[in-house]
Amino acid sequence: MNRGLRNTLLGCLGLFAITAPFIWFRLDYNTTAQTVELIPALSKGVKFFQGLLPVFIALAACFAWQRLQKKISIPAAAQRSGQWLARQQQNPLLLPAAGLLLFSATFWLDAKNLNYAVTVGIFMLQALGLNITTGMTGLLVLGYAGFYAFGGYAFAIAQILIPGLPWWAALPFVFLAGGILGWLVGLPCLRLRGDYLAIVTLGFAESFRELMRNLEITGGDKGISLAASSKFQGMLGLNGLQSSYVFTLLAVILSVFFIYRIYHSAIGRAWIAIREDEIAASSMGVPVVRMKLLAFALSAAFAALAGQFTACHVGFIDPASSAFEQSVIVLAMVILGGMGSIPGVLLGSTLLYLIPTLLRDQFPSISDYRLLIFGIIMVVMMLYRPQGLWGSKRHQLELKAGS
Amino acid sequence: MSSSLQCRSISKTFGGLKALQSVSVSVKPGQVVSIIGPNGAGKTTFFNCLSGIYKPEQGEILLDGIRINGLAPHLICRRGLARTFQNIRLFGEMSALENVQVAQFSHQKKNPLAILFHNPAHHRREEAFLDEALGLLEFVGLPDVANVWARNLPYGSQRRLEIARALASRPKVLLLDEPAAGMNPNEVGEMMALIHRIRDRGLGVILIEHHMKLVMEISDSIHVLDHGESIAEGTPSEVRSNPKVISAYLGQEAPN
Repeated sequence: MNRGLRNTLLGCLGLFAITAPFIWFRLDYNTTAQTVELIPALSKGVKFFQGLLPVFIALAACFAWQRLQKKISIPAAAQRSGQWLARQQQNPLLLPAAGLLLFSATFWLDAKNLNYAVTVGIFMLQALGLNITTGMTGLLVLGYAGFYAFGGYAFAIAQILIPGLPWWAALPFVFLAGGILGWLVGLPCLRLRGDYLAIVTLGFAESFRELMRNLEITGGDKGISLAASSKFQGMLGLNGLQSSYVFTLLAVILSVFFIYRIYHSAIGRAWIAIREDEIAASSMGVPVVRMKLLAFALSAAFAALAGQFTACHVGFIDPASSAFEQSVIVLAMVILGGMGSIPGVLLGSTLLYLIPTLLRDQFPSISDYRLLIFGIIMVVMMLYRPQGLWGSKRHQLELKAGS
Repeated sequence: MSSSLQCRSISKTFGGLKALQSVSVSVKPGQVVSIIGPNGAGKTTFFNCLSGIYKPEQGEILLDGIRINGLAPHLICRRGLARTFQNIRLFGEMSALENVQVAQFSHQKKNPLAILFHNPAHHRREEAFLDEALGLLEFVGLPDVANVWARNLPYGSQRRLEIARALASRPKVLLLDEPAAGMNPNEVGEMMALIHRIRDRGLGVILIEHHMKLVMEISDSIHVLDHGESIAEGTPSEVRSNPKVISAYLGQEAPN
């Protein structure tokens, strides 16, 4: 059996071994005896498999995908320019078909699932943004939720100051403000490396949360509720939720396009070079500090965007959105999906939001163990598949058909 | 003819250690200047001072008459001074081609709109850069590994890829830090031919190397460093017969 297949099986088995006990058993507090009891929760046997099925399907699908992609080596003579294609060939109908399917979900998903889809989309925006700093540039950021909460609060406060401010009018400014904040936070941070940078960004998120809890305009712990006119509103015959979904989907698609193009430009290469070897990168003419600040600012801008979308979707923003757990979940999405890989982080955010949520719907007790499961999955991923489920694979040269 | 690169009395200390004391080296276009000396003599420190990783405390570094000491490494690279590293520092998880492309950074336009929407002019420029990068891979003798991760290349190829990457920044002067280290005689011969080809492109080359056969055959002049001091300089034959050099390398003759 080859190594890839063995790793795949081990990964699946490991995931199963970790999740199964939490699904099969439930801790219950017996009030009369005052003891904690372990109760088998398998009475809902059929639902258990339903709950776990997505994991296996997703794992199988992404490994199968990776195995199908083979490297193509080019004969030396064919390498001269004019005989290359920058991207891997794909079915030209694939993207439009996928887009159509996603947009049509507006009509065939029920309210509950549509709600989940919007949340997944917002997590995708965050994971895409965090992927710029942590995945591509190699800067560990633990306080990403600070920028996320900033976006939500910035919009919430703006719509208090300017009553009736529609979300789309504020969007570019929130994006820009997020970028500026990221740049400002990055400025002192980027002298630090690794763990120190992680701690400082964590400190930023925590102090931002405390600030929001204690200011008057932010409403303390209760947060701010948005005026109805500033939330996502129905349009073109869609209800509010449906249009939320369409807006979020559009934002994700545009962000993917945006980040994809930057990733495959000189700037993206500079980011990866910094991740690989900072001194070599600067000796090759890459302005390291400026590129890091750009990565920081862009990723903060996407977080702010996601924050505004949350506020417009849910209708309020509170200090909990800057919580450490929020940062960790997004980081876990990036790591699980594949650091530096755009399809990877999309997959990671989908799996890491949907699996716990769907499991919680069926087994309410599981949410108590959520962070524990995240931790274990991260450890297992680092051991067996450090590149993530869908590791980064930048485009390779290919021969033009027929040459 | 004026020198491409002139270093006048460079000094660098680490705490109490005088790593470099008033070292002066200059190189003209199309010339190979070698720096030799025992381990710890300050050769790599000298390169680090030139390329901006260290800031020399004294002295002056002029590239085509313009002072470059004190500048950040990426600015020095942009002015036309590129280097390779003694302990290979490639971008491991990037393909060989991408490694070369990274060094084109300072020549590429980074117009956000062009990056996002790929207008025809941008596309043409990118194609020209790609062509140049592939040409450099061919130039150093790595025509068919464009897609291979640098980490997965054999040692000798990694050394040559470093040179291709340095050349991609279109330097006027190239600093090579032990390019032939750990190579077999056959590979050393190929490396020598490569350095000749680089010189013939009109670049000035400063070479740190322990492989004496290579140094003696290829150099126009040689500087010998010992304990951070330049103890001799001259043509290969002058240096070879210099008693100071012999004692630095072999130790003093015991008094009778």
